[in-house]
Amino acid sequence: MVDNKASPVLQVKDLAVAYKIRGGEIEAVQDASFVIKRGEAYGIVGESGCGKSTVAWAVLNFLGANGYVKRGQIKFLGQELTQKSKSELRLLRGDQIAMVYQDPMQALNPSMRLGDQMKEVLTIHRGISDAEAEKRCAKMLERVYMPDPVNVMKRYPHQISGGQQQRVVIGMALLNNPALLIMDEPTTALDVTVEAAVLDLIAELRHEYDTAIMYITHNLGVVARVATRVGVMYAGEMVEQGTVEEIFKNPRHPYTQGLMRCVPKLGANKSESILYPIPGRVPPPGNRPAGCMFAPRCDYADNRCQEEHPALRALDNVNVRCHLAEEIDWRQWTPTEDVIAPPAVIAQAAADQPILEAKSLKTYYPVKGSSLKDVLGLGEKRFVKAVEDATFQIKRGKTLGVVGESGCGKSTLVKTIIGLEDSTGGDVKFLGFDITGNLSTRDEQVIKELQMVFQNPDSTMNPTYTVGQQIARPIRRFKTVPNDQVRAEVVNLLETMRLGANYFDRLPRQLSGGEKQRVGIARALASRPDLILCDEPVSALDVSVQAAVLNLLLEIQQKYDTTLVFIAHDLSVVRFFSDEIAVMYLGQIMEIGPAEAIYAPPYHPYTEALLSAVPVPDPTAKQKHIRLQGNVPSAINPPAGCRFHTRCPRRNLLPNGGKICQTEIPPWREPDDEHKIFCHLPTDTLTTFEPVISKEGNG
Amino acid sequence: MLVKDCMTRHPIIVPATMPVVKAQQIMADNKIRHLPVAGDGKRLLGLVTRQRLSLKTDTLGSLNLWDITRHLSNMTVKNVMLPSTKVQTITPERTIERAARIMADHKIGCLPVMENGGVVTGIITEIDLLNAFQEMLGLPVEGVRVTVRMPNRPGEFSKLMTALGDQNWGVMGIGTYPSPKADGFYDAVLKIRLVAAARVEDILNQIPDQEVIDIRNVA
Repeated sequence: MVDNKASPVLQVKDLAVAYKIRGGEIEAVQDASFVIKRGEAYGIVGESGCGKSTVAWAVLNFLGANGYVKRGQIKFLGQELTQKSKSELRLLRGDQIAMVYQDPMQALNPSMRLGDQMKEVLTIHRGISDAEAEKRCAKMLERVYMPDPVNVMKRYPHQISGGQQQRVVIGMALLNNPALLIMDEPTTALDVTVEAAVLDLIAELRHEYDTAIMYITHNLGVVARVATRVGVMYAGEMVEQGTVEEIFKNPRHPYTQGLMRCVPKLGANKSESILYPIPGRVPPPGNRPAGCMFAPRCDYADNRCQEEHPALRALDNVNVRCHLAEEIDWRQWTPTEDVIAPPAVIAQAAADQPILEAKSLKTYYPVKGSSLKDVLGLGEKRFVKAVEDATFQIKRGKTLGVVGESGCGKSTLVKTIIGLEDSTGGDVKFLGFDITGNLSTRDEQVIKELQMVFQNPDSTMNPTYTVGQQIARPIRRFKTVPNDQVRAEVVNLLETMRLGANYFDRLPRQLSGGEKQRVGIARALASRPDLILCDEPVSALDVSVQAAVLNLLLEIQQKYDTTLVFIAHDLSVVRFFSDEIAVMYLGQIMEIGPAEAIYAPPYHPYTEALLSAVPVPDPTAKQKHIRLQGNVPSAINPPAGCRFHTRCPRRNLLPNGGKICQTEIPPWREPDDEHKIFCHLPTDTLTTFEPVISKEGNG
Repeated sequence: MLVKDCMTRHPIIVPATMPVVKAQQIMADNKIRHLPVAGDGKRLLGLVTRQRLSLKTDTLGSLNLWDITRHLSNMTVKNVMLPSTKVQTITPERTIERAARIMADHKIGCLPVMENGGVVTGIITEIDLLNAFQEMLGLPVEGVRVTVRMPNRPGEFSKLMTALGDQNWGVMGIGTYPSPKADGFYDAVLKIRLVAAARVEDILNQIPDQEVIDIRNVA
């Protein structure tokens, strides 16, 4: 192909963006330069607070009343944007530049039908007739793989799922065929399976419409999948730029290298590899160092780095902002001593008695009908079967990982165990005690031994209590230590969390997200429990903080021999962290077994699909392409037979197109002692599945 | 090949209110010769080309120095553009030969590509057509370029194809046209990869009634 179309759509040069604040201003972005060409996806990565989103907003001059572009140029299709008037920009935004943000619900008007919202784009900007607009919107929804588009257009945003909402937003953004599409973490809030479908869609649209895409994310796996070139941002500056292959193969800047070391590779586990969090945190814009921004957190920094600010310079095929880029070989890196590296997990001697045993555990939520019969209580009782027949056990000191799409009952399962939800049937034995009964009758000793860490540390902490008070509460309640030693115990816990005694009197709002989560873990540990249930403890955190929290949990587990139940939607994290893994779908455990067995064939077809959807932070890895069609069916009326049969891509391997899956509940296949798969396909067939991810070159 | 395959999507477009000086600047900066003018919803209003920007001496002759400055600085794109009613356009689903025909007939250098009745989705220029022409004859790939002359009757081309098929040769590009200097004959230009020129000549000359009239290695 003669490449004459690679002319730039967006050129950003030496951009600095400042926000005016009381008594001065802060420069959120100091020096960002990059070019996005037609049909190219440019990924921007970095921790939170590095100015990624500010760059995106600056392009549209969407900076709010106190923000402005201080220096530099933003050229869109040859025209300078920084001097454009509001009305000129408004035209551009609707017509030629479109945006997709993280939370689709904030982009959709909750009081308007989806069809009307979409049509507005065409009828207002293009002056297209209503009927014609309707036709075109339906076609666009079909284009973004929305099932039943005509009906969806009649619904309100709250009536469709998050993944579907995001697809509507993407569809809406593409209606005017924009030259530039800005996507700010568009898939962060979505399930892996939905994320994979959205990323496929983005790649396809890029080829078809030659749209230039600016893709902002903190997930290195996602960047490796969608982007052609990457810019790494740190503290308001571009620190490294290059093609995806180059950056992942040979990161030059110590910050990029640090980011790579924070994420577990899919297939890595805790006994073989260690995560290395980047020490410290991103300096706030008002208080940045004089020399290299990254110097305070860099292992290589010398005097020159402290004093002289490095410029972005070309080195081989990449641009890098580091004085020492030539000398640093990232393969030679060894962790410095102050890095929190947990002792490598030693395989423990034959584990003893299971600490938690669940047998056919069921949790149903009653659904209230709205008919007269239901109101009078005569109607048939209906239930959401959130957890159905969960049978598993956990041995002391081990970790059980639970994975599955949202709505599959992961959280309900742990809530039932801890007693926040009542179970409907089955037994759960914890240390030999039955814990299915009402929470108010539960023995205090049992409550003490069972604690939980929640996903969102913000909403689980009382904002008016100090950190010390919050951690002290369970200690006093359960009388873990005598009253006069409570403070010492809290300080001790804070130190275990690497927070230090000076955090005792701080309020939650004075802490960063990672620190809050550490306080949450400290609070769960305060009663010295035997079992901690962690519901997505790291999914809201930045990669480097996530690595630190995971290391901390590992250390605690080693130190106190704590047992953990760990829920996460990131399959590489679960693989890294867990000894055993349960894969759930629609309330049913589909596959359970040792972590390494789950991630290698034989797979349950659902596990296979999940694994093929995980974004792998390695652009050279080959991944099987399996995408599940449709949504998770309603749990009020789950499919008969195998619950997965409506979406199963492997059903046709069975005789008769898998008719048996629709009618009969599958048997448990046991390829190994501890490994069980809930599927009609015989073990021999399951074993023939190829591994989902393979490295190029070495099979 | 259709227009949508070789047009430039998302061309630079300007509003009608833009000063001509600025439009000229944009064209120079981006090294482009055509600038579609569009209003709300990317609807085509007109087209600015380099020629439209050239000085019209007859208008300027009647003005004095001060008037010229004022005249130039007040001029907007709207004053100089070719209005949309006079602009030749095309749609993405048409063939490129049709685009070439329109451009040749009207002696023009570009066609704005329109969709949905008046929305500019792209632009196709002479350069795009020249690029498409190169691609069709397999230019960027190294190989043997051979021209075969054959009588204008059914079955001749399939003889050539059979000969190629027997050798399992891959054709990178192909074009046929009536022989310019011999009535009743057709010439076919082929680009063949990974073979030696002598071998190609040898094989193709064995086809009855056909003749290799030109053969060369090209990169």
